[in-house]
Amino acid sequence: MTIAPVDLGGGDSPRLAQRRVVTAGMAKRRRRVATIATYVAALAVGLFAAFPIYWMVLTSVKTQAEIITPEPVFWPSTFDLSRFSYVLELGFTTYLRNSLLVAAGTTLLGLVVAIFAGYALARFRLPFHRYVLMIVLSTQLFPLVVLIIPLFIVMRNLNLLGSLWGLILAYLAFITPLMIWILRGFFLSIPTELEEAAQIDGCTRFGAMWRVILPLAGPGIAAVSIFAWIAAWNEFLLALTFIRSDELRTLPVGLVQFVGRESTDYGAIMAASLMFTIPVVIFFLFVHKRLTTGMVAGAVKG
Amino acid sequence: MAARRRGTSPAAGPATTPGAVRAPQRSWRRIFDNRLLPILLITPALVAIGGLVAYPVLRTAWLSLNDASGLQALTTGAMSFIGLDNYVAIAQDPDLRRSALTTVLFGLSCVVATMVVGMAVALLLNRPFKGRVVLGIIVLLPWAIPHVAASYVWQWLFHDQYGVINWTLSTLGLGGFEGFAWFNQWHTAFIVIGIVVVWQSFPFVSIALLAGLQTVPTDVLEAARIDGASAWQRTRLVTLPMLKPLLLVLLVISTIWDFKVFDQVFVLTGGGPARKTEILTISTYQQAFTQSEFGLGSALAMVLFLILLVVTVIYIKLVKDEERVS
Repeated sequence: MTIAPVDLGGGDSPRLAQRRVVTAGMAKRRRRVATIATYVAALAVGLFAAFPIYWMVLTSVKTQAEIITPEPVFWPSTFDLSRFSYVLELGFTTYLRNSLLVAAGTTLLGLVVAIFAGYALARFRLPFHRYVLMIVLSTQLFPLVVLIIPLFIVMRNLNLLGSLWGLILAYLAFITPLMIWILRGFFLSIPTELEEAAQIDGCTRFGAMWRVILPLAGPGIAAVSIFAWIAAWNEFLLALTFIRSDELRTLPVGLVQFVGRESTDYGAIMAASLMFTIPVVIFFLFVHKRLTTGMVAGAVKG
Repeated sequence: MAARRRGTSPAAGPATTPGAVRAPQRSWRRIFDNRLLPILLITPALVAIGGLVAYPVLRTAWLSLNDASGLQALTTGAMSFIGLDNYVAIAQDPDLRRSALTTVLFGLSCVVATMVVGMAVALLLNRPFKGRVVLGIIVLLPWAIPHVAASYVWQWLFHDQYGVINWTLSTLGLGGFEGFAWFNQWHTAFIVIGIVVVWQSFPFVSIALLAGLQTVPTDVLEAARIDGASAWQRTRLVTLPMLKPLLLVLLVISTIWDFKVFDQVFVLTGGGPARKTEILTISTYQQAFTQSEFGLGSALAMVLFLILLVVTVIYIKLVKDEERVS
């Protein structure tokens, strides 16, 4: 509103200025319409993004009578928290433990591989450097279903189908390449002078990396750890294919099994989904920025 | 880089070491540091990628040319080479042929919808208004929800008897939606699956585009504004061309994601009704792991891979053309 007159004063073309004069009154109204439109759009986007999540949380704590109603109840009269312990007793403690083991195993193994490889790709001129980079990137292109049949055969022949190790190994296939890529970007942003100084001070080349650069890359390492953790926690297709016994199932497959048995109890389904979701959301909000830039940068440079 | 490193490494040895010992020690160390260490560092990754990605891909390609039915075929290797017969079988099977076609059409629709919604939300978040930061965080949430959990939430929202969506639609006066079963027809089932996929993939596009929008220099936008360009013209003629490389990247990432969808379809319809919502990932899983047709399953996986390859090659060509122009 205050900008318009200033613009008129400094207007370089008289014709343009004249047109603005005519519309000055309208401009104010138009700006108000634009503001209202912005808030309406923001509300719509917010509803689209958040309402399903709100509904999941709400359904998990409503009483059964308020879930099964032809007219939805948007705020419950009483909160029923008993479903969470009920769901845990139905086997989710086991699924939770398995998911934690698989996620932690994948993260730790992936970190070892990805830190070394990311550092090597950031600091050394490797033989076939370009091709190694291309291979790391191109792995993103393969749908999991392309890998799943041979992986299933290998795991079967190695007798790993009956253990969580098979899953951890298979998860490394699609998780490590992106970890390598994001970590490489991190190492590239740390100046090489630091290693050179450490080496002058008597560190070995490896020591310079291990004691000087790794601590500096801490935030990046934390970010890729969380990324690996979430990816392993959420993975469904491989877990569905590889794990046949109930006591080794991870959460996503456990959830599907559970729904297969109790398909009408939406309160319990939502409670189980919520327990499955909460850890991811918390972790995710910490790392989303690094994840976004890492993925985009990876693709741009490729 | 290597030359610079070699030049600095003599300083690494302690200065007090006697010369006779120092020279060979230093050169051994130099060889280790510059030649061996990088190879040692990259080896675990190459072994992992080679064993867990490269080998499986080649094995799938080989399996797709074989008649491998039943678990015996895998464990004993008792299968016969049949050339492209599996691919011919896919082309001749009406269900599998439709699955391939559906994958492309459904994938492309999801990509377009994701890009449009993602772009609109990014432009919205780039405007100043109260609560912008909060909305920025809320918008992220769908991306964070595990696919399986998200699918159940939407299944519940679209429930025929007690779902909020049917209630809302019939309250708004659309009588046909009372007790409407979304998952009984393939086209309405696809609408729901598409909504879930877009719901989970637009946040990434929005956040990446928002970061891109904020790198567009304000003086250029200001210049366009002073020249009389409207907000829409500024977006279309200044911002979008500047974001073209980023948009292409997001297009490819979305394509790879949306063509690979499995969890949502498996949970919501399982490919039904009458296999009409089957897409290639589901077909592969069904043929390989419920029918034990590992050869045919591999061929289906390869078809999906080839589709993605074609899309990516087109993308790389677009980027190359872009670079040549600019």
